[in-house]
Amino acid sequence: MVGPTASLSILSRADGSASLKCPTTGYNVLGSVNAPIELPARRDALKPEEATVEVFVKPGNTTAGVGERYVEGILRSVLQKVILGRERGFPRRGVVITLAIIGGDAVERGDSYLNILPTLLQVSLLALLSAAVPMSMTFSTALLGVTKSGDIICNPSAAEAKAASSLHVLAFSSKGHLLLDESQGRFEFEQWESVRERAFSICRGMATPGADGDVTMGDGGDEARINGFICETVEDHLHRDYSWKIDSA
Amino acid sequence: MRPATAKWPKMVQKKTFDRPRRDSSPRCAIRKMSKEAPLSVAEREFILEALRENVRLDGRGADQFRSLNLSFGDEYGHVKLQLGKTSIVVRISSEVTKPRDDRPFDGLFNINLELSAMGSPAWENGRSNELEAYVTHVLDSVIRRSNALDTESLCILKGVSCWSIRADVHILDYDGNLTDAACIAIMTGLQHFRRPDAVVRDGQVIVYGVEERVPVALNITHKPLSITFNAFNEGHNIIVDATRKEEQSSEGELVIGINNGGDVCFLSKFSGAPVDAMEVVTRSNVALEKVKEINAQVERVMQADLAKRAKKGMAEESRAENDR
Amino acid sequence: MAAPEAKVAPSIPPSLSLPPSQFARLQPHAYLLAHLSPPPASNQPSIRANGRAPSQFRVTSANAGSLTHTNGSAVVRIGDTAAVCGVRAELLHTEDIASWSVSQASGSHKRRRLADLGKKSAEEDEEDEEDDEEDRAHIEDLNLLVPNLSLSTGCAPGFIPGAPPSALAQSLSHQILSLLHSTRLVRADDLRIWYQPPNLGPEEPERHNEDEQMDMDAEHSPTSESKPREIKAFWVLYIDVMIISLAGNPFDAAWAAVLAALRDTKLPKAWWDVDNETILCSDNISDARKLCLRGLPVASSFGVFEADAAAGWRPNVIPDAEEQKAQDQKRKKGSQQSWILADPDGYEEGLSQERACIVVDKEQGGKGKTVIMKMEKHGGWTVDTEELRQLVDISARRWDEMKRMLDQC
Repeated sequence: MVGPTASLSILSRADGSASLKCPTTGYNVLGSVNAPIELPARRDALKPEEATVEVFVKPGNTTAGVGERYVEGILRSVLQKVILGRERGFPRRGVVITLAIIGGDAVERGDSYLNILPTLLQVSLLALLSAAVPMSMTFSTALLGVTKSGDIICNPSAAEAKAASSLHVLAFSSKGHLLLDESQGRFEFEQWESVRERAFSICRGMATPGADGDVTMGDGGDEARINGFICETVEDHLHRDYSWKIDSA
Repeated sequence: MRPATAKWPKMVQKKTFDRPRRDSSPRCAIRKMSKEAPLSVAEREFILEALRENVRLDGRGADQFRSLNLSFGDEYGHVKLQLGKTSIVVRISSEVTKPRDDRPFDGLFNINLELSAMGSPAWENGRSNELEAYVTHVLDSVIRRSNALDTESLCILKGVSCWSIRADVHILDYDGNLTDAACIAIMTGLQHFRRPDAVVRDGQVIVYGVEERVPVALNITHKPLSITFNAFNEGHNIIVDATRKEEQSSEGELVIGINNGGDVCFLSKFSGAPVDAMEVVTRSNVALEKVKEINAQVERVMQADLAKRAKKGMAEESRAENDR
Repeated sequence: MAAPEAKVAPSIPPSLSLPPSQFARLQPHAYLLAHLSPPPASNQPSIRANGRAPSQFRVTSANAGSLTHTNGSAVVRIGDTAAVCGVRAELLHTEDIASWSVSQASGSHKRRRLADLGKKSAEEDEEDEEDDEEDRAHIEDLNLLVPNLSLSTGCAPGFIPGAPPSALAQSLSHQILSLLHSTRLVRADDLRIWYQPPNLGPEEPERHNEDEQMDMDAEHSPTSESKPREIKAFWVLYIDVMIISLAGNPFDAAWAAVLAALRDTKLPKAWWDVDNETILCSDNISDARKLCLRGLPVASSFGVFEADAAAGWRPNVIPDAEEQKAQDQKRKKGSQQSWILADPDGYEEGLSQERACIVVDKEQGGKGKTVIMKMEKHGGWTVDTEELRQLVDISARRWDEMKRMLDQC
């Protein structure tokens, strides 16, 4: 299985940017972050002691519709919680996140947005990191489908997602909290629990509490650990950015 | 205060229900918001003074474009264009729809351009600004109204079904000359795009997937491009492909839409200081030269990409045969 | 100028204690927190500012069929939130559907099957699953369900006339649409208008009239040799929801209104008239039939109220999930740190960032097991597996309540 590919800080005008291409779903999303930025037109909506997070999703080959507004709401509520909007320079300003879907099929009106939601979340995170926006923690996401026969499939393709009896998107923080759950379809709670377990291992690797209460990271099997993937992407980028310093040392 | 009959700026949509509208805002705010941070007086003077000596900030000649870099995505009609630091992605898509009642023989073609905060922090998401309206107007005139894409060839079954072609322009980075860059990107996309083959059998339209039948190229009648000239120092200096800073210190703009054959399909002296009439004629020649140059480059890049695709397709086919 | 003096004279010195209503406005967070965690000495139960227990929903009432000019309608009131829903059915001729005459040569072959479907259903041997796929394709691809939600002017302060639909209204519209699709509540077969071309063979004893042909849906066609029947038109259901009063939790109210309205919806009998080449509808109310819905999905929304937000400051360093659990365990005897509030009202919604919404259904009209149709939570990290398990139980209880109420209306 080919893992996703990502690159950081690819745009020159935006404060931070990232792109992520997910081979299984075919989505390629480009995200940009402008922060902190003055939002004079939203003055009445600004909060006095916190940054205002704005998310804008731009579909690739259709006009934005109600689905985009909905997914923007979800993204905003997740990101608002991890962004430290009270840090110096952020209150009364905006964190503007723009996500353009530049590859992959359009989400039709009324279709579920769950297929692309993990990619959108991941790109927002990378773009925020690229813009050096203070955050309390990072997170990683997983898309899982449960087939009619009850099997759990990871990163289902569009056709598989359509045929699945339920679809789940979960996001875990870097500290192991369940940040987001979006489940759709027909399922029972026990099924969801096994989905959660699987998602957790995909995002974070197998967490096996050691004897001293410490959490040791095991290997998540053949599934790439998303959390590790984000770390690697950022590390690679830092290496490139600081190559002058590393070389001279 | 909002006026009682608030009109939200741009919402031309087909569906009457659940149409996505955005917050309306007073007109004055829009104008203010679309403005980039102004140049300092010193910076402006510097640019003008240098131009007086026929020097541009990046060392280009007056009639020289920045380096143009075109690449293609996985899908047909997915073009990434880089003109200096201006960066654009264009996606062309097609779907079968019903033709308009008054034009049963014509297909549909639309260009969608929306400026988002990605291109420049000065643009606000979900709000239209003057630049957006202006660029859309020029693109529409140069490409759509000049019938560069033959819409009649998009008809499948008279009055029943036709292709609707859609060009979505995403501005990733804005560093001046949006119009020309978008124009090149869209034209390249249209030439690169392949729609699925469709045939009519017993009144039933059958669309063949890309794997089954070789997809069809669009019928491009001519290849017009827009060339934007910016005037400085009372019309003494006229340059092409201005950067954002040059645009900001410019006193006037002249846009010429012209094709390889030298047919002018759009001409606009939209705003700013007057330009000598003779300049329009001489600049048309410059524009023609530029268009020929760019079209040749587009052709070269595109053929290389299509050849690469064909090779890859062939390799896949033989692999599939081997598997059998 | 004696007037100002007269005004000043009766003014009482400002008292140091505020009436509760002012306290609620000035310090909303502290006010709710004080209700939820009363001092242990006071022996008062933990209760919300609106007098409800944390898992208690507001009083809900529903009334169906109140709008006479619609095919189905309902008004649902959950506390002070009220939603009106009207379902209007309109005919969509298949010849007006651009994609109708288009068949995909590759892929799912679904279009091609459309033409054959008539034959298949007449043969009565279709697989259930295949029918499902057909169902989904028709309703979703042809957009036969068009919900639209509007937050009416003045439903809450801040909704001014002339404004375009807010992001909230748009995202609620999307939620309703995607829930309609994912629960597959409406059967496509209820929306199809069939036509059986008469067998023109001379041996046919008598020509069936249109009405009889309409009723042949299930029974074996006597003229099985004849041409396959075809779909001539669809009913498109325009489901308009208006929130006339918004006091928190608009989704539950809107969805309940949609559900009640669809249960109330009656479609007139319609058939294809060959001579006029058009669809005719019967005026007779007794001919109209109700929609046959799949199940009864009920939505329950929750908000999470956190104690530490009261200080207006949140620590930047957030403990690990495991650590936090251990801390909570330790603290258990002391004070609770977060409360999950069912059916939050407007005041509580303003104070909670984390939201959860669970849509459940029970099989066999309530006797079967509980199935989750949708579960979502975002905006925080209080709700995890254990909490969700409790919420599903609460939602299942809410289902019983809602079913009783919807059956009565």
